[in-house]
Amino acid sequence: MTAIKQLGASGMDRLYCHWGQGPPPHPSSHQCALPPKMDGRPSWDTPLQFVLACVSYAVGLGNVWRFPYLCQMHGGGGFIIPYLIMLVLEGVPLFYMELAVGQKMRLGSIGAWSAISPYLGGVGVASVVTSLYLCLYYNVIIAWAFWYLFHSFQATLPWAECPGNENLTGVLQECEASSPTQYFWYRETLNITSSIEEGGGWHRGQALCLLLAWAVVYLCIIKGVASTGKVVYFTATFPYLVLIIYLIRGVTLHGALNGLKYMFTPKMEQLANPMAWINAATQIFYSLGLGFGSLIAFSSYNEPHNNFEQQAIVVSIINSGTSIFASIVTFSIYGFKATFSYESCLERMRTLLLNTFDLVEDSINKENINHWMTELNRTDPGRFSSLSTQLQSCNLEAELDTAVEGTGLAFIVYSEAIKNMPISQLWSVLYFSMLLMLGVGSMLGNVTAITTPLRDFKFLSRRLSSEALNGLVCLLCLLLSLGFTTRSGSYWFAIFNDYACTFSLLFIVLIEIIGVCYIYGLTRFEQDIEDMIGHRPHWYWKVVWAVLGPLIIVGLFLFYVSSYIMGGTPTYQAWDKDLGKAIAKTYPVYAQAFIVLLLLSSMSCVPLVAFLSYCKSKKEPQEQVVSCPLNSKEAS
Amino acid sequence: MFPRLHFAVCFTAVLGPTLVHTLCPDTADGYKVRLSIKTALGDDAYKWDESEMFLFRATLAFAMRKYNQKPYEVSDVLVCNETQRVSFWFVVTDPENTSELISGKDVERAVRISRNRINNAFLLTDETLEFLNIPPTLAVPAESGTPPWLIVFGVVIGVVGVGIIALLISSFIQKRRKKGVTEGEEEDCEEEACDKGNGVSHPVEEGADGVNRGFVGDIPFTKL
Repeated sequence: MTAIKQLGASGMDRLYCHWGQGPPPHPSSHQCALPPKMDGRPSWDTPLQFVLACVSYAVGLGNVWRFPYLCQMHGGGGFIIPYLIMLVLEGVPLFYMELAVGQKMRLGSIGAWSAISPYLGGVGVASVVTSLYLCLYYNVIIAWAFWYLFHSFQATLPWAECPGNENLTGVLQECEASSPTQYFWYRETLNITSSIEEGGGWHRGQALCLLLAWAVVYLCIIKGVASTGKVVYFTATFPYLVLIIYLIRGVTLHGALNGLKYMFTPKMEQLANPMAWINAATQIFYSLGLGFGSLIAFSSYNEPHNNFEQQAIVVSIINSGTSIFASIVTFSIYGFKATFSYESCLERMRTLLLNTFDLVEDSINKENINHWMTELNRTDPGRFSSLSTQLQSCNLEAELDTAVEGTGLAFIVYSEAIKNMPISQLWSVLYFSMLLMLGVGSMLGNVTAITTPLRDFKFLSRRLSSEALNGLVCLLCLLLSLGFTTRSGSYWFAIFNDYACTFSLLFIVLIEIIGVCYIYGLTRFEQDIEDMIGHRPHWYWKVVWAVLGPLIIVGLFLFYVSSYIMGGTPTYQAWDKDLGKAIAKTYPVYAQAFIVLLLLSSMSCVPLVAFLSYCKSKKEPQEQVVSCPLNSKEAS
Repeated sequence: MFPRLHFAVCFTAVLGPTLVHTLCPDTADGYKVRLSIKTALGDDAYKWDESEMFLFRATLAFAMRKYNQKPYEVSDVLVCNETQRVSFWFVVTDPENTSELISGKDVERAVRISRNRINNAFLLTDETLEFLNIPPTLAVPAESGTPPWLIVFGVVIGVVGVGIIALLISSFIQKRRKKGVTEGEEEDCEEEACDKGNGVSHPVEEGADGVNRGFVGDIPFTKL
């Protein structure tokens, strides 16, 4: 048996001894390779740690703040149908594939894809770059969660009331125009400027919280898998505990049933809307965290015969189940908040009528207010019409229809609901701790996706211990992400959130799936899987990898590219402090150039590295066939 | 109830019944007051009657006294236009010259200074005992030395810092210990086989034939 050494990515010469690559193609040769147990790679203590790490990574903030929003947008409970179909068609097979690649190659994303084909090393680099962008902006959310968590330890929650103005005659104008929760978010937490052009200074509190967030992440990954494996027991399970507590609290709140009814009356006509299917596919894709290299990194620490097929199915089901569970909680909170707003509206109208017409206090109540309004309009139209500017029709449906996602949901809507609950400090602490755990759990995967490929580079791991390497990565990310703690940082956050990872991931996963099926070879991949778990993958998986998966991803990609092109100049929501609400503004030219740079910087790694390795292979002889020394057993 | 109250008001202003009609409501110097007792107290709401009105006028006289130390009496506070809502207008006359009204600005300042006392006399708040066009005086925010969030932050980052240092020290000690144990066999420990302290690592194993597998990968690599 010969081992073929392929020249290419530096520092990884030894690895190409594992498999035969390029001509002559022949089944995997392990003869020269160190058996996986002896290559010194750290590993998880138990397979359970691996499963919990994947669950902790996949179950993140998106499950809590994106999925309920999509449910609301696409007809409530009916959205679960396209969601589950996409899970089966696209989510689980791609998840399975990434775990297989990682467990087989036993390397981070750069090494693994270079091993698949030297021309595909760029996919790994693109994954690392995308993970870097994600790390930079994702940890800022954790910093915000810390900020809110620390501010919950007060007698009255700071977002419950507006602060007074200078001469204490009333409340601050900005707070009056918007609401205490919005004011706390935009002014106290972010101290936001009115547009992305105005830089503003640093927000010291945010910078401190970001420092803490990175310190916590470092603490969890300091020893690589050994420390991460212990931390995930907590980060994976604590959010479920809080969600259950919140579920019990949520459904017992006044008005929660309105929200739940809204969610569970599916509007089936939404299924005919193609956006529902596109959003379902996109949500599954991002929710599972495909393409970042984290799954490859995690599974590279597995035992070689770990049954990842079962684990892939289990983790995907847990992830989707958590989304549905979280949306039940969110909808009961929505229902409570909408009912509260509706009843406040009714109260305001009641007071207005009482004061204008000087009626006895308890003559009007919630039930007969509409009757009174028609009565008064009839008997005293003059005075009634003078109220027309102040009167508003209170509508519960309209309140429930206001769909919010993202940071707006997590930090404004939820805190609004929490401040109206009894013992609000306790609920606030629980909720923001849950957000923290969700965020930190995902961050562990994101940072591991960066550190694992770096550790595979010999010249780095020879000079730096793993603690030092992890520390350097965290420090670098901290310094770069301090930019998000400036007063306009939230606008840059929105840029990263919308553009840094969205297209690149679709592109990366597309190349991945084509690379595995058509460049590496589906038969060879099947054989590898059989070597690992003892049986070949079912034909269903193969159909998805070879045909369905690429089709769906190409479709999504084309859709997003065309909607981006046809959408005109991209806009963002800028906070206007005089009006007390967000207004749309277009991005300035340099911000648009930055967006393009973000997109290109990760996607261009793929062709760049392919080109570089092509040049290298042209410069030097194609391959060197070298023989391994036969040991005494083989010789005889 | 309503006509009786009106009569009572006119009766108490017996010193100058004409004064009541001319002076009250003087929109320049008078203020409208609105009480929402049932909203504030629910089932514990008291009934609004002459005694309550007497208390109101007495409280207002007290507020005026606190403001400019003149000897105001209950009779200096004139009330009119009462409604079932429980709202009414009032004006304050000068105790030395009952045909003169105290200016609106002075009344406003007096009310603002003693607003808390007036509210408490009726178990109400700024929202439920409204003086229209008199802005409420908000409580001075409690100034604490260090904001409370910073204290919690300090605790948490201290714990995290201690944790990081502890882990770093422990891994450093582990490495020193390992170095001491494997000093003799250091040459055999190639980087591929012995990862530096990255969690669980597998030691180099010798094959059954005595060949050190750690070198197997290296030997075929001839230089270009």
